[in-house]
Amino acid sequence: MATSESDQSKQRRPGLWEIVNERYPGSMIHNDSFVPMASLPKPLNECRLGFVSTSGVQLKGSMPFDVVHPIGDYTFRRIPSSTDTRELEIHQIKYPTAGANKDINVVYPIERLRELKSNGIVGSLTKNFYSFIGYNIDPQHLADSLASNLADAFEEEQADIVLAAPA
Amino acid sequence: MDVTEHAKPPRALFLPFRMGHQFGVPFHQQLQTEIVVACLNLLGKTSDTWIMERYDKTWADARREGKQFDR
Repeated sequence: MATSESDQSKQRRPGLWEIVNERYPGSMIHNDSFVPMASLPKPLNECRLGFVSTSGVQLKGSMPFDVVHPIGDYTFRRIPSSTDTRELEIHQIKYPTAGANKDINVVYPIERLRELKSNGIVGSLTKNFYSFIGYNIDPQHLADSLASNLADAFEEEQADIVLAAPA
Repeated sequence: MDVTEHAKPPRALFLPFRMGHQFGVPFHQQLQTEIVVACLNLLGKTSDTWIMERYDKTWADARREGKQFDR
């Protein structure tokens, strides 16, 4: 988890990660290698697009995320991509929701994504979009469970491309 | 941005916006669409390592533009 000198030179707040790791050991994701970059498999207007967000957006009435657990909540929620925004709510307390409470598209642009499909910019959307909360301080557990389960879900939905957004 | 540099996702668009407002400001549909499209445009780019681009609008720009849509 040590930060290399090359990373130090890029960091906007040098030394921050060492402080975080000292106080919360193992809590910072640090990639020593690059993820192999895939090429676009087909023209964008033929691709099926998936979307996942750390915004904690979920369907009203579904099990709320555990936003006070000390190591986080490693579950995710499925949200049909056809969902009316009035059926969505946010269970997340670690980012300002002033904008999202007025228009959820500022963190979860479900209507804009549907328009891109209608306008032929993308070929189709996955049946479901996904959401989880960003407060998860065990990166290994996140990679082994949450990230792996999400990858399986998008594979099942035959997504060609996935847009992932932090909140 | 430094978190993104730490995790090195294959393709990333950095938006200098307020937390919780990654797709802009309420009801500014054009800006929200532009941001999504800017993300999708990264798919046409490749690199031996990873790619991060910075969105060219500031949070002040977004807020200023968004005033006309505020409800």
